[in-house]
Amino acid sequence: MSTAPSERTTVHRLPERADHDPATIHAVLDEALTCTVSWVDADGEPRALPTIQARIDDTLYLHGSRGARAWKAAAAGTELCVVATVVDELVLARSQFHHSMNYRSVVLFGRARELTDLDELHAGARAITNHVLPGRELDAREPDDAEWRQTLILAMPIDEASAKVRTGPPGDDERDLSLDVWAGTLPLRTVVGPAVPAPDLRASIDLPSYIPPSGEELPRP
Amino acid sequence: MSSQAPTPRTRVRRLPELGVYERERMHAILDEALYCHLAWVGDDGDPRIIPTIHARVGDTVYVHGSSASSTLRAIKQGLPVAIAVTIVDGIRFARSMFEHSMNYRTVIVYGHAEEVTDREELAGVFDVITDQVAPGRSADARRPTDVELKQTTFVKVTLDECSAKVSEGFPEEPDEDLALDVWAGILPLRTVPGEPIPDPLLRAGTSAPGYVADYRRPGA
Repeated sequence: MSTAPSERTTVHRLPERADHDPATIHAVLDEALTCTVSWVDADGEPRALPTIQARIDDTLYLHGSRGARAWKAAAAGTELCVVATVVDELVLARSQFHHSMNYRSVVLFGRARELTDLDELHAGARAITNHVLPGRELDAREPDDAEWRQTLILAMPIDEASAKVRTGPPGDDERDLSLDVWAGTLPLRTVVGPAVPAPDLRASIDLPSYIPPSGEELPRP
Repeated sequence: MSSQAPTPRTRVRRLPELGVYERERMHAILDEALYCHLAWVGDDGDPRIIPTIHARVGDTVYVHGSSASSTLRAIKQGLPVAIAVTIVDGIRFARSMFEHSMNYRTVIVYGHAEEVTDREELAGVFDVITDQVAPGRSADARRPTDVELKQTTFVKVTLDECSAKVSEGFPEEPDEDLALDVWAGILPLRTVPGEPIPDPLLRAGTSAPGYVADYRRPGA
């Protein structure tokens, strides 16, 4: 993939936070559980829709419903802009002005194509299930023909993307350091709660090993 | 509970039973979400979307716009924006890949962004945005100076056209799948704080306040 920024992936605001390293971009797309897809509607207005994504190498897979108007437009080759965000820490400065977050975000531009090849559809479905929770894709029943006809998986090349990353302590002004205010960062994590079996689950089926115990972080691909 | 009549683009057409139009529920989702995704149309006619922080006061959503500064001129001129917030409450494991889903709450807001220019309003927005990061924080942190107020851009969007979508509960699967030897159920997710990391420059003897040590999102 390209690492040189295009005009629109050049980070103008706080450019020191820009990161065009594919490893950074891939990690954010893998780690973020969901993303938001935006496009311009026929009336010229912006639209946004949260959805789930998955990545294989330099391709982002997006899952949608065949009936939804958003996905009809996307499958028709409408220009898309996708954002995924991971918040790592809250940044609590002494001044309100310098409050921030330590985050990693990726913005991806491009057009998507609808998957029609059955092998690629299977790979896409497995990747999306793996993105939800690694290991699950080996367990769940794969789609049958009727389900494939209702499922829309889009593939978008990850070749016009940029990451923005903030790390580290608050950036307070020198004159504020003497204030009697606690300052620092507060890490945030996404953890799982106790798994709740479906009421119609057969009694003999144990909790699979890929589902972590309560209180542990959600494993990512 | 006041309700919001859906417009053609905020009416939830896909799985319409998930559509939520009560203002109080939309407010709660906007308040709990830590950040939003802000979309607009670039000068080239193509879509743009970025993460940024927001806060709500009544039926107005304020969005920190400085992070979009290169294109904020367009936003400030009253061009249309879309704001999306998403909270994932859990993963819904079905026996089939097809019925896998998430339990989630989302709000989408459409509107025309207006820059906050009134000094008093701007100072008030600093308070609510700071409390959006950490509820209770605004009373402790130094309020902005005139220079800082001039350096910061907030835009506001009125909640005139918005909708929420809430998905909860267990997977619903066809009878033939219930016999499969596959676990099904819900894995709840939540965001939890870790140990606060003091600023290396923190004055000795300053301890983390309760809203940091016992951090939680509003409503969570």
